[in-house]
Amino acid sequence: ITSSTCLEVLQRLVVFNPDEISVSVKECVEGVIGGTDYNQSKVNQWTASIVEHSLTHLVKQGRPFKYIVNCTIMQKSGAGLHTANSCYWDTATDGSCTVRWENRTMYCVVSVFAVAVAL
Amino acid sequence: MLLEREITSWKRHKAGFVVEDVSTIIKESVEATIGGNAYQHNRVNQWTTSIVEQCLSQLSKLGKPFKYIITCVIMQKNGAGMQTASTCFWDNSTDGSCTVRWENKFVYCIVSVFGLAI
Repeated sequence: ITSSTCLEVLQRLVVFNPDEISVSVKECVEGVIGGTDYNQSKVNQWTASIVEHSLTHLVKQGRPFKYIVNCTIMQKSGAGLHTANSCYWDTATDGSCTVRWENRTMYCVVSVFAVAVAL
Repeated sequence: MLLEREITSWKRHKAGFVVEDVSTIIKESVEATIGGNAYQHNRVNQWTTSIVEQCLSQLSKLGKPFKYIITCVIMQKNGAGMQTASTCFWDNSTDGSCTVRWENKFVYCIVSVFGLAI
């Protein structure tokens, strides 16, 4: 085992990995609203469910991070929507990832922010 | 009276993330950026950027030992339904969040600030 392999392994453990998280979040969204139409009476449960499942997956990875997961579901009806994020943190260790998903009747945008915890 | 005020102010300072102060910062920044304007597709990009940047600079001026995450959503009033939820895995005793919902005749604006203690 070389020192560069060691470094790579360590980095994978403590540095934020947006690709992995993106995949895991997409699965959560598909699992909750895949194949359904926008339903006003259910959308409350959907957003809560998506953020909880996503957070559970993240925490299970056991990495030294604090997480914030944000989910927005919007009905497709021609209205304009714009979102922006700004973060004041340590760019070497912290990161974020945004997943955009849509079907025929709604848009779903999930953002995950991970902030490193001092070990 | 003076002593009570001093104690309240000390408690607020100790608490770290003070929701009222952050809420005021957010409201001022949204009012100043959007005010009474209608939804304009070609300007809304600048609005969201401006709101988050103004909030961030005011928050960092508070000089507290926090990392901040600010999100801003602007939506045209058109009858569409929208729902948003957040969940956080952090230290309950030191970290906090504040969400402000603002609207005028033409747009909704939702700004969330999350503060995580270093």
